[in-house]
Amino acid sequence: MTARRPAVLIVDDSPLVTDALGVLLEASGYTTGSATTVADAVTALRNERYDAMLLDLTLPDGDGLEVLGSAEEANLTPPPTLALTGHDDPATAARCREAGCVAVLVKPVRRIALLGALQAAGVAP
Amino acid sequence: MLRPLAHSQHTPLTATSGDADTLEARLGALESQTGEATRLIAELQARDRLKTQFLANISHDLRTPLTAIITHAEILGDGMLGELTERQHASVSGIIKGGRQLLAMVGDILTYARGAADQLALVPSTFALAPVVDQMLALNAPVAERRHVTATAELTPDLPPVIADREKLSHVLNNLFGNALHFTGLAGGGRVWVRAAVEGVDDERELHVEVGDTGIGIAPEHHDLVFREFAQVDSSTSRRHHGTGLGLAIARNLVELHGGRIWVESALGQGARFHFTIPQPLPPVTATHAAIMRPDPDAP
Repeated sequence: MTARRPAVLIVDDSPLVTDALGVLLEASGYTTGSATTVADAVTALRNERYDAMLLDLTLPDGDGLEVLGSAEEANLTPPPTLALTGHDDPATAARCREAGCVAVLVKPVRRIALLGALQAAGVAP
Repeated sequence: MLRPLAHSQHTPLTATSGDADTLEARLGALESQTGEATRLIAELQARDRLKTQFLANISHDLRTPLTAIITHAEILGDGMLGELTERQHASVSGIIKGGRQLLAMVGDILTYARGAADQLALVPSTFALAPVVDQMLALNAPVAERRHVTATAELTPDLPPVIADREKLSHVLNNLFGNALHFTGLAGGGRVWVRAAVEGVDDERELHVEVGDTGIGIAPEHHDLVFREFAQVDSSTSRRHHGTGLGLAIARNLVELHGGRIWVESALGQGARFHFTIPQPLPPVTATHAAIMRPDPDAP
């Protein structure tokens, strides 16, 4: 019997990003799903069990962090969430932490940093 | 559409005849021209802000596909999808190297645009400078060797921990050091060095860093020019450096964001010594500056 591979939901408005991170994570032992909007992300959390979520802050239908609030409103428990942001300013990082993100990764995210952050969040294959 | 100022501005404003009507008419014309000039300045400033915002937006948008390209190439290059032949690996390495170089240039443009739009925030901390310098030397060691350049660091033994935005200080150091390596390499090899000390007492204390080289040097009349954006000193000669022309403008911006100064001492053929200072502690104005910074709401 093989152990279940950890599942990561990748939320980003650019399919280029979700595709690239998907290939990277799947080659590193994870399974992945993707969403490009807040609504799609909440639906994905409702329909699948994810062990972690990578969350872009700018989505077409709202602030990425709204996914966390919307999931809780729908009685879903969001998995450990790592924010993806283009900004390295302290205000953005604080906002992500306050919303419940366990880590804040600044784009462009290097492979080692991403895998290290997932491992630090307790999500490793 | 910008309109040129009326050419009547060259009319001499003198009234020897005592003709009050003429004087009044001329004063009226002058007021009108002043109003036009004020309007023109406001319009130019608005256009400059638009240009800066465009630069920030476009450079930000360029990073997403570029990062995707690099990520895919790294996955291939690391053999995560299967082993590559030597030639395939060399080709993928070329994509990664070129991609990273382009990403760094786009990053420079974004940093410059954010600085010009007052959107850069300082994140000060207290840290030891030696590991930052050591890491820079280690990263640049292969380039230095290839260019026959000896790179050294001379930090005063009692150098205390410094207060600055570590990432931005590192950016400035790397920029100055990279330039020093490049232009010393063009001179056929030589020496580059980094010196650092905390000078002054009490409220006058400041970190003083010198990045020097024995390279091709800069003529004194170009010393101010090198810190201007998009400037390339003497593009007809070997001083030309492939890049955005923003490196030193960004370095100046980041140093001044800390309340410090940056300058160069050099002459053609006699190397160059770039200096910058950062007040210790940072002046309150930088904290205020940081507090009013706001993130770009349109960026992810």
